[in-house]
Amino acid sequence: MPDILALVLQQTLNGVYLGCLYVLVALGLTLIYGVMNQINFAHADFVTIGAFTAFFSASRLATHVLGLPDATAYLLSIFFAMGAGALLGYLINAAVFAPLRDRGDELRPLIATIGVSVLLENGQLALFGPIPYSFDSPFTQHTLRLGKIFFSAQSLLVVVVAALAIGGLHAFMRHTYLGKALRAVSQDRETAGLMGINERYLIGLTIVIASALAGLAGALLGPVIVLTPFAGSSVIVKAFAIVIIGGFGNMEGTIIAGILVGIIEAFTVQYLGSGLIDLVVFVLLLAMLAVRPTGLIAERREENV
Amino acid sequence: MSGALPPLTPPERAPSAAAASPVAASHALPSSEPAERVLRPPLRWPGYVAALLLIALLPFALKGAYWQGILVVCAMNVLLAMSLNLVIGDCGQLNLGQSAFFAIGAYVSTVLLKSHGWPFWWAVPAAILAAGALGLLLAAFAARLRGHYLGIASLGFAVIVYQVLVNWESVTQGVRGIYGIRPPPPMTLGPLGVIEFSNPAHLFYLVALIALLVYGVLDNLMRSPVGETLRSIREDEISAASLGVNPARWKAFSVGLGAAIAGLAGCFYPGFVGTLVPDAFSIVESFTMLAMVIVGGLGTRVGPVIGAVVLTFLPELLRDFGDWRLMVYGIALTLCVLFMPGGMVQAWQLVRARWARQGVH
Repeated sequence: MPDILALVLQQTLNGVYLGCLYVLVALGLTLIYGVMNQINFAHADFVTIGAFTAFFSASRLATHVLGLPDATAYLLSIFFAMGAGALLGYLINAAVFAPLRDRGDELRPLIATIGVSVLLENGQLALFGPIPYSFDSPFTQHTLRLGKIFFSAQSLLVVVVAALAIGGLHAFMRHTYLGKALRAVSQDRETAGLMGINERYLIGLTIVIASALAGLAGALLGPVIVLTPFAGSSVIVKAFAIVIIGGFGNMEGTIIAGILVGIIEAFTVQYLGSGLIDLVVFVLLLAMLAVRPTGLIAERREENV
Repeated sequence: MSGALPPLTPPERAPSAAAASPVAASHALPSSEPAERVLRPPLRWPGYVAALLLIALLPFALKGAYWQGILVVCAMNVLLAMSLNLVIGDCGQLNLGQSAFFAIGAYVSTVLLKSHGWPFWWAVPAAILAAGALGLLLAAFAARLRGHYLGIASLGFAVIVYQVLVNWESVTQGVRGIYGIRPPPPMTLGPLGVIEFSNPAHLFYLVALIALLVYGVLDNLMRSPVGETLRSIREDEISAASLGVNPARWKAFSVGLGAAIAGLAGCFYPGFVGTLVPDAFSIVESFTMLAMVIVGGLGTRVGPVIGAVVLTFLPELLRDFGDWRLMVYGIALTLCVLFMPGGMVQAWQLVRARWARQGVH
């Protein structure tokens, strides 16, 4: 295999791995938008809190209290992080989205979640301090080799977990009664309500699922990024870009766009330097919005005059 | 020239027109004003005189370089909050990247000053123009996007500006930052003597007077047909367009003017702090400005001023709580949206209206 091909394959693989992490963050955003046309800005902090939950449950609770080996402890901590995310999702729905839902204004819930985000970020800053924590996953040290291509066990884990999460979500949406009801609510909330679907419950459920995904993403991202209270915000702007590129509220679009951005990022690191990642991604986003303001797959939208 | 000029609504009829729109209720003030007050607008100059007096006396009330420094920060925040309010409050365009224009003002003025030897007072208009021009670039996107999409696009715009500041090391010196920036040069003002801007009290006078001037300009502008036009776009863009308003042009106007004002505020920041690093203009700064606008009163004139003052001084008064005090921005923003959507201005008007009713009965 020629070197250049190996390099391209290697970077594509790195890109897919990065993209899977982004998809996990962005899927939650797109799920919430799909059902209630709202953006949860605090999603970033759910990711960070997920990462911290995983860190503390893996390094303190699971290894010291329960005496588990490192690998099991890390896998277990992923579930703790999902639980923390789900709890936060339940709380933000009860505190912000549910009370503001019927007042009709598009931007007020968004601004309220910005407030929650600032609150959570500064709370974590006071609690954990600005110095990065070193969160070592036991899987990062294991390197697997396939011909000339190398990847860590962690990246394999990320891709597998992301595939499982996406597959599970897809199956839930397509093949369960609740999933069908959810799709009905996202198509037309009022009509779904008239058909006897409890839309409040379903919207709450969506936010909890989306936030659990954020927690999961945090647990997987923790060992990859610099773990500070601002870790989530550095990823979330990219997740927003992905959600927009893919078309707001569209799951397939988000997955494609996420992997695409991951691959673009991997090649940017290879050929332009890691300092330019955000620049390249956001210039692409703005170029995209200039050419096609609706994203790759357009959101269906009525204009009420 | 179709659509060049806004529909000329007679000023007397403006409040009823605003009250007739159902959407207006969430933004605009409750129309509890008696009819005579609307026909004969209240005098404005006593307010300006009071503001001038307050500005003159504040540095005597708050002694010490630290508190006078907070005063300077407060005056800059007032400028920033007013600039953002023009875009979000008056024109209804969700701009989450206002910190970018603050950054452009700071960097353009400093680079012209330090690397090209421009005098400070020449660098200021150049910085304002640069920030305004960049605002027009963002407005090109605002013309086609709305709501959430514009919010995210403006956020991305701010990230791009931040990344350019970090990466363009030959000009901005990247994350290492620019050091040893001097305050504006001293000015001789006849009988008042020499004004030394290295003294925070004097710098406060300068920035606060500029803020008052900007307030006066915006106040008059928003009571003119231009203000009506911007508000009509905020309430319903399609209806406004059907009345002959060109939304793209007026959005560009408000985003560009807002950017220019933020750039103006940025000119005074580096000379006050002495150093300039990109981290001073992260996205969180935009959210802080947003909190000031919302807490004070979105779309009102005095609201953002009050919001900026309150949210600048509140964290200082909460010093005993250590790092936890920074949560105050988030708490204030969230609680305000949930329970006091019109901000402090609307809350005050509701209280006053209740007092007035109790006085009658």
